[in-house]
Amino acid sequence: MRNSPRLTEFLAGCRDESPLLLGVAPFGMIYGIAALAAGVPAWLAQLASAIVFAGAAQLVIVQMLAAGAGFMPIALTSGLLNLRHVLYSASMAEYVRHLPRRWRLLLAYVLTDEAYAVAVLRYQRRGPEPAAAQAGNPDEAPPSAASTACSASDAAIGARAPAEDLRHWYFLGAGFTLWAGWQLSTAVGLLFGATIPPEWELDFAVPLTFIALLTLLLRERAGQAAALAAGLGALVFAALPYKLGLVAAILLGLAAGAWTVHRLERA
Amino acid sequence: MSTASLVLLLVLVGVLTYLYRYAMIGLFASRSLPGWLHALCRHIAPASFAALTASGLFVAGGEVVLAFDTPRPWAALVAVLVAWRTRSVLATIAAGMSALYLFKLLF
Repeated sequence: MRNSPRLTEFLAGCRDESPLLLGVAPFGMIYGIAALAAGVPAWLAQLASAIVFAGAAQLVIVQMLAAGAGFMPIALTSGLLNLRHVLYSASMAEYVRHLPRRWRLLLAYVLTDEAYAVAVLRYQRRGPEPAAAQAGNPDEAPPSAASTACSASDAAIGARAPAEDLRHWYFLGAGFTLWAGWQLSTAVGLLFGATIPPEWELDFAVPLTFIALLTLLLRERAGQAAALAAGLGALVFAALPYKLGLVAAILLGLAAGAWTVHRLERA
Repeated sequence: MSTASLVLLLVLVGVLTYLYRYAMIGLFASRSLPGWLHALCRHIAPASFAALTASGLFVAGGEVVLAFDTPRPWAALVAVLVAWRTRSVLATIAAGMSALYLFKLLF
């Protein structure tokens, strides 16, 4: 088990994911700070980072809580927002379909925006060979508990195929790195959040984050129409109880987007 | 919202999100995504962020408040311009917060 190719793949995934943590860490901290400001207990805010593990949805949840939204509107809004993960799941299906179920159950948990982005690139590169074939890394640690847990199935695979496909280990490494970074940055935000005076209005960083993400997303006509309709809808439906107006606004935006696609296709 | 309902809400959203992620690699691994769902997913993020931004800036207590004598809408405008020019999330947050503090001194 020395120079385990599985570990090499796993570590390559960790390495390639780590630059993305630079972008993820501020979100985690902002989430932690905003969660405390919205009155979420620190233990629950940290737990949410493990249960939900979806940055945008977690920010949406704390912003809606701060605005006094009710249970159903928050569930519907974050449920809609996270629907995009079905797309990632569909895109990954062809690469992981052959894996045992416990692997797919595990990989589904780490299938976030950022882990998807890194892992899909590895799968689209040619060949199942390890990304970095540096044999004999001197400070290579022995396989961890995570790898021994799956060793039975891997031994079976390893027995027949000399050039076995180990890219799921890369995927796991990328996902694990993102997971650890997300938990850690949440914790940092929670630690800081308790000491920051409310006059600093750091909760304003949440709508600022949405503005930045929105600007990045508005490249095509239909998306712009969806955003415009949803933004106006949020004002038109503002009076609906429990912030249900947000759900109505998002649905209006989706209708506007679909209508624009339809119109452009006919033109 | 009570802590108990909040726990329930987070577990619900967490389970739902996990099911989304597992859907096409596990639950429906042998099927492909229907076209309408694919089209729908593309517009969810822009629609959600736009609704949340508009609501966060101009809705308070169930009423539309177009208060342009307060710092936040103007700081948000600065953030939009910076986001447009730089396409950087960090620069947008930094500029928006700086503008907020500046306008708080002015207003």
